[in-house]
Amino acid sequence: MNNRPTVGHVAARLLTFVILVVAAVAITAPFLWIFRGAFSGSDAELYRLPPTFHTENLTLGNFGEVTEQVPYFRFFLNSIIVSGTVTIAQLITCSTAAYAFARLRFRGKGVLFAVVIGSLMIPIQVTIVPLFLVMSKIGMTNSLWALIFPGIFSAFGIFLLRQHFMALPYELEEAAKIDGASRFHTFARIILPLSGPSIATLGILCFTYWWNDLLLPLVMISDTDKQTLPVGLVLLAGRFSTGSLGTIAAGIAMAIVPVLIVFIAAQRYIVQSIASSGLKL
Amino acid sequence: MTTKQAATRPRGDGAAALAFLTPSILTFLVFVLAPTVGVLILSFFDWNLLSDGTFAGLDNFRRLFTDERLLGVYGSTTYMALVILAVNVVLGLLLAVLLETGMPRWIRAFFRLSFLFPFVVSASAVALIWRFLLNKDLGLVNYLIGLTGLDRIDWLGSSTWAPISVIMVNSWKTIGFSILVYIAGLQSIPKQLKEAAIVDGAGAWTRFWRITFPLLSPTIFFLVVINTINSFQIFAEPRVLTQGGPGDSSRTIVEYLYDRAFGDFDLGYASAIGITFALVLVVLTAIQFWFSRRWTHYR
Repeated sequence: MNNRPTVGHVAARLLTFVILVVAAVAITAPFLWIFRGAFSGSDAELYRLPPTFHTENLTLGNFGEVTEQVPYFRFFLNSIIVSGTVTIAQLITCSTAAYAFARLRFRGKGVLFAVVIGSLMIPIQVTIVPLFLVMSKIGMTNSLWALIFPGIFSAFGIFLLRQHFMALPYELEEAAKIDGASRFHTFARIILPLSGPSIATLGILCFTYWWNDLLLPLVMISDTDKQTLPVGLVLLAGRFSTGSLGTIAAGIAMAIVPVLIVFIAAQRYIVQSIASSGLKL
Repeated sequence: MTTKQAATRPRGDGAAALAFLTPSILTFLVFVLAPTVGVLILSFFDWNLLSDGTFAGLDNFRRLFTDERLLGVYGSTTYMALVILAVNVVLGLLLAVLLETGMPRWIRAFFRLSFLFPFVVSASAVALIWRFLLNKDLGLVNYLIGLTGLDRIDWLGSSTWAPISVIMVNSWKTIGFSILVYIAGLQSIPKQLKEAAIVDGAGAWTRFWRITFPLLSPTIFFLVVINTINSFQIFAEPRVLTQGGPGDSSRTIVEYLYDRAFGDFDLGYASAIGITFALVLVVLTAIQFWFSRRWTHYR
C-alpha cells in the first residue's frame, strides 16, 4: 500500500471541508445577524439589504432597554436555579435507573421499561392541565418548585444512558463481581467513570431544555418575579409582533450568551472524558 | 465458571434493582402517571375550568371522528415530522462522520460548536429570528434567492412553503443534537477495529458499512426513536412562525390540542385528542422497536 495522498484523497478532503463550512455558515449566520442587531440603534438599518456589519448607529442602549422593560436579572437567576437543580436531580435518577435496566435482572423489567418508553410518548402538553392540578393540590404552583419537580423524571434520560451502558463491555464488571463488589460499587466505580461522555451529554441536554422551556412557567407561574428567561423574551417581544427589533435582538442575545458559555465549558469536558475513557477501554 | 453460573442465575437482583429505581419510580408516579390518569379521566368530561365538569361519556371521542380539521392537522404533522426525522438522522450522520475525519482539533471544535449552537437556544427565540429572515419582502433569505434570479418565495404565507419553513427551522435547530449523539457513538467505536480493517486493505466505504454502521446501529436506532417522538411534538416553531397557517397547512397536533385546551377551554375534547395522539406515538415506537431487531447490533 502506498501512503502518498492521491488526487481522489485530496478531493474527498476538500469536499468534506466545503460541506462542513457551508453547514457551519448556514447555522451561525442568523446569530451573527441577531448579535449585530442587538447593537443597532435603528430598525431600518437592520432590514437593509444586503446586510452589512457597518453601522452608523452603534449603541448599547438596547441592552438597557431590555432591563428597563423586564426584570431581566431576576429571570436569569430563576432560570439558573431551575435548570441547575433539575439537571443534578435528573442525572442521579436517570443514571441509577438506566443501570438497573441495562445490567440488573429482576422481575417485571420488560414491563417497567415498556412503561418508561411509553411515557416518552406523552408530551407535557398533553398532561399539562392535570399536572397543574396536581401541583396546586400540593401547593407548589407559583413557586420555582413547580418548574423543578416535573422535570426530574426523564424517560429520555433513562433511555439514553441505558443505550450507552449496554454498549459497555461486560468483562470489567465481571472482574469486580468476582472480587465481591456490591452492585452500587460496580455502578459508581466502573460504569459511571466509563460513561462520562453520555452523562455530560444528558447534562447539557437537560440543562438547555429546562433553560429554554416556555410552556411550564407560563402555566405554573403567575408572579412576574418568579418567571424564567423564555417567558421574559415573550414579554419583551410583546406576543412576537410589537416591540423594537433592536431590543428584541438584545434580549435574545442576552438569553443566548449564558447558555453558550455553559455549553462551551461542558463541550471541553466531553472531549476530555471521551479521551480518558478511550484510554481505559 | 462462577461468573457463568452467576450470569444464568434465574432470580436476579430484585432488591438492588428496587433501590436503583426508587427515585425514578417516585417522581414518575407523582408527575407523570398521576397527570396521565388525569387526562384519561378528563377525556370523559365536559369541562371548561370555570364551572363544574359534567360527565360526557364517549362524546369527546365521537367528536374525534367528526372533526374534519383533525385529519388535516394529522396529515400536516406527519408530513413535517417525517421530513425532519429524515434530515436529522441522515444529514446528521453525514455531518458527524465528516466531523470525525482527520482535521486539526481547533477546527473540529469550531465546527462542532457551530452545529450545536442553535440547539441551546429556545425554540421561541429561534422561530423569532427566522420570522425576520424568512420575511417575504424584507428577509435575508429571499434577498439571497433574488440574487440567483429566482422569484421571491412566500415562506410563511403560502400553504406549500409554510410547512417547509417549519421543517427547515426545526431541523436547523435540532440537527446539532443528532450530531452530538452520533459523535459520542462514533467515538466509542474501538479504533483497533478500524485499524485492523485498514491493514486488511478495506476502503473507507467498506469500513463504514462493515464496521461503523453495525457498531453505530444502537445509536442510529436511538436517534430514530427520539427524533420521531420529538418531531411529532413540535409546537413553538409553527406557533411563532406561521400560527399553524395558512389554513392548517403547518399546524401540528400539539398546537391544535393547545388551542382546544387553552383557546376554547374545551379541556375534555383536548384530553381526548391528547390520548389518541399518545396512542399514535406508542404504535409508531412499537413498530420501530419491532423492526430494530433486524438491524441493530449490540456488543
